Amino acid sequence: MEIEGEMEKIVKKAVDLGVSQVDVRYQQYDYELITVENKTLKSYSSRRLSGLGIKVALNGSVGYASTCDLNYASLEKTLENAIKAAKSIKKEEKHMVEAKVSQIEMKSPYKIDPIDVAPEEKVSAALDANKAAWIDEKIKSAITRLGISKDYRIFISSEGSKVATETTMIGMAHESVAKSNGIMERVPYQESKCAGYEFIESMDLNSFAADISALAVDAVKSKTPPAGTYAVVVDQNVIGLLLHEAFGHASEGDLVSTRESVLYGKIGSQVASEHVTIIDEGIIEGGYFYPFDDEGVKKEKTVVVENGILKSYLHDKTSAYQFNVASTGNGRAQDFENLPIVRQTNYYMKPGDYKFEELIEDVDFGIYIRGKGGGGGQVEVGMGTFTFGVGPSKIMKNGELTETVRGVVISGFILETLKTIDAVGKDLTVRTSIFGGCGKMGQTVRVGFGGPHVRVRKMTVGGR
Amino acid sequence: MELAELAVKKALDFGATEAEAYVQKVKRLWIEFADKIDSFKIIESMGMGLRVAVNKKLAIHSTSILSEKEVEEAAEKTVKIAKVAPEDPYWRHLNKEFGKSPAQGYFDDKLEAIEYSEIIEKLSVAIDKMKEYDNRVKPTRGMLMASISNTTILSSYGERNERKETHLTAWMRAKAEEHGEKSTGTEHCEVRFWNEMNLEEMAVRAAEKAVKFLKAKPIESGKLPVIVRNQVFASILGVILSGPINADWVQKGRSPLSNKLGMQVAAQNINIFDDGTLRGGWRTRPFDDEGHPTQKTTVIGNGILKNYLYDSYTALKDNAESTGNAFRSQYWMPPQPQPTNLALEPGNVSLKEMIQETKRGIFIDETIGEWLSNPVSGNLSATITHGYLIENGELTKPIKGVVISGNFYEILKDGIELIGNDLRNYMQNYAPTVKLKEITIAGK
Repeated sequence: MEIEGEMEKIVKKAVDLGVSQVDVRYQQYDYELITVENKTLKSYSSRRLSGLGIKVALNGSVGYASTCDLNYASLEKTLENAIKAAKSIKKEEKHMVEAKVSQIEMKSPYKIDPIDVAPEEKVSAALDANKAAWIDEKIKSAITRLGISKDYRIFISSEGSKVATETTMIGMAHESVAKSNGIMERVPYQESKCAGYEFIESMDLNSFAADISALAVDAVKSKTPPAGTYAVVVDQNVIGLLLHEAFGHASEGDLVSTRESVLYGKIGSQVASEHVTIIDEGIIEGGYFYPFDDEGVKKEKTVVVENGILKSYLHDKTSAYQFNVASTGNGRAQDFENLPIVRQTNYYMKPGDYKFEELIEDVDFGIYIRGKGGGGGQVEVGMGTFTFGVGPSKIMKNGELTETVRGVVISGFILETLKTIDAVGKDLTVRTSIFGGCGKMGQTVRVGFGGPHVRVRKMTVGGR
Repeated sequence: MELAELAVKKALDFGATEAEAYVQKVKRLWIEFADKIDSFKIIESMGMGLRVAVNKKLAIHSTSILSEKEVEEAAEKTVKIAKVAPEDPYWRHLNKEFGKSPAQGYFDDKLEAIEYSEIIEKLSVAIDKMKEYDNRVKPTRGMLMASISNTTILSSYGERNERKETHLTAWMRAKAEEHGEKSTGTEHCEVRFWNEMNLEEMAVRAAEKAVKFLKAKPIESGKLPVIVRNQVFASILGVILSGPINADWVQKGRSPLSNKLGMQVAAQNINIFDDGTLRGGWRTRPFDDEGHPTQKTTVIGNGILKNYLYDSYTALKDNAESTGNAFRSQYWMPPQPQPTNLALEPGNVSLKEMIQETKRGIFIDETIGEWLSNPVSGNLSATITHGYLIENGELTKPIKGVVISGNFYEILKDGIELIGNDLRNYMQNYAPTVKLKEITIAGK
């Protein structure tokens, strides 16, 4: 590709100008989003973004600049900007570990390139799903979205690395709103995969939206749960979200190195019950395809927690230096306009050996917390507080699932909640999403998360 | 010929009946820091979103590659998609007439000309202030972002509008540690002018808060009156109301405020406005993202629902006038009605007075997860990370890790006891501190 030659010229030029280390990142991102609302096409938008970012390390400080204008004169000006930015903070000391040099090209597998599928075919798939949502007169609104992305990145550094990756992703999201007796409730859900259009062809588009509507109709008739602290069993979606929010962020090396995270100084200590093993991995079935990070480092399988003991943080090259370890390949940037920071990839809990029935059978009173229809979460890593909204859930009484409850919000403290996990199921599921991502410091990246069904003895549940 | 003009012309040549080009150029300075400055980024980006109609069939395509060849290809692709799209039976036409309101305070000349060293200097002083505040405190994370953007909208009706804007945001967090106890304090601000950004004050307040929360604990579950700090209430107001007052949600049956125009939806002393002309407001600008002039719209007046917020599409569908609320979250996204600056009108009670007249309650200073509240059902929930117990008119113990929940629409009707006089914003949402009569607390 022509751009690679230009990138190599910029690397050489930077080195000639006395820059001690330079990373040049190119990205081309294609994206399509088809939105159908109430059986009508609301919008068909597509997007092409491409550009280049240059990171320079100069006298220990880091400067970064990016541009969408790819002609060589503009790239030279961008390099000057990066150097100017680095010089403006010249008093600071900043160090990074060296990355193992890699020269590789990797692509996520797919059969049918979704960008090439005829627009009318994609529109009709979204319309078909939407039409199936109107199962009951209580359904007042239904939105279906079909999303497609192709993210191509090239990384070239003065260390000699040249890594090209391409991740193709597709998914469908749906939200139904139900109204009954003056009460409204909405239930959103999505399914995505790093795959091609064959993923949409394999979906049962009728039941996809109809099931979501059925859940909305069930939820709108139900009550909110009593507020308090209970035993809960969480499903695979929720354990994934819980680990990502409640533990994953606190294990990010940059947040640990500044002592912001409650996990600072906890390597080797018990941070969760002995049933808990947590892994961050770049390539896993169902997850987001992320073989190399945006610093050219291979994303290896990182065991963060093993049998309840904290084993490792997640690192980029900067935080790795501070802890005197190797980068774990977690230096990720949203796009070429951003600097990589420490992010999770696919963060999940290793399965145990309980069946679902065994998890609920000795709960006298609690809630079976389900993710479908939930809204995401947030954590304050310093105080260790996390919170998130989950989907319509079920009350557990004397070992059995009873009525549905809606509007469930769960909350807890990172270092306490995971210690009250006393049983882990065997049914691992990892999921990802093209419609959302994880936000940190103004950057959103795609992630994967999951785990098996898990029983947590103490969880704070907000209700009314 | 400029590229936007070329895009519109080419779209018509390829068979579009209408076309609109939206071109945005943005320069952003982005500084990340902890106990020292970590990185400095200079980001220059541009892009064009092209919206075309072929009769009642629509499509939008965007590109960041602004060359003549790419723009022509983009025009061709957009028209091609539109031609195969199903008809939108409600489509009438693009906004045909552009205009400008006399909005002020959305561009800072000084920021455009600023030396980077001035920003670095001011920020370094603030970081040092945080360090010096108390030896238990350490700055752990923060960022400062300044952007200068230039937006041009051009349509096949021969109309054209252009605006230049500045935006500044800062966010910083202090952490305190003592005897194994850890706590944090966070401050943020979103303004349009460099001179309005008081980094030192933010640094000191974050440090002060971190120290105070070293001994914070959850409290028992129960029901208590709460005082919600202005920026926290502003955030909740935006999360809950932005969707339901949007004419698109109303037309699609998604809004709990559908069919309620002219009805009492809040207590008589509640006034909520959307004001695209608010001086120096986060989303103040002379025209919206379809070129329509901005305005001040009463959403709720004396508790009565007065208006929904319209862009031209939703307005034409209802035979109403656009309220100048067309908004593109990004240049590549289609315009949708969204609030400009959404504000709860302040009252006349000070925070001090509110606390003094509370026998037992909570002052909520900071929350997380309030964005998980549900605008459709009105279910409000948030986790308090920083709160204070109020006992006999005084702030006593710091509180963390309890969840509040309630129904926002019920709160609007008869749950607000006092409205403060201290209007502040969280991005485009503005609110004073308010005292709520009683709310459910899930705690220990």
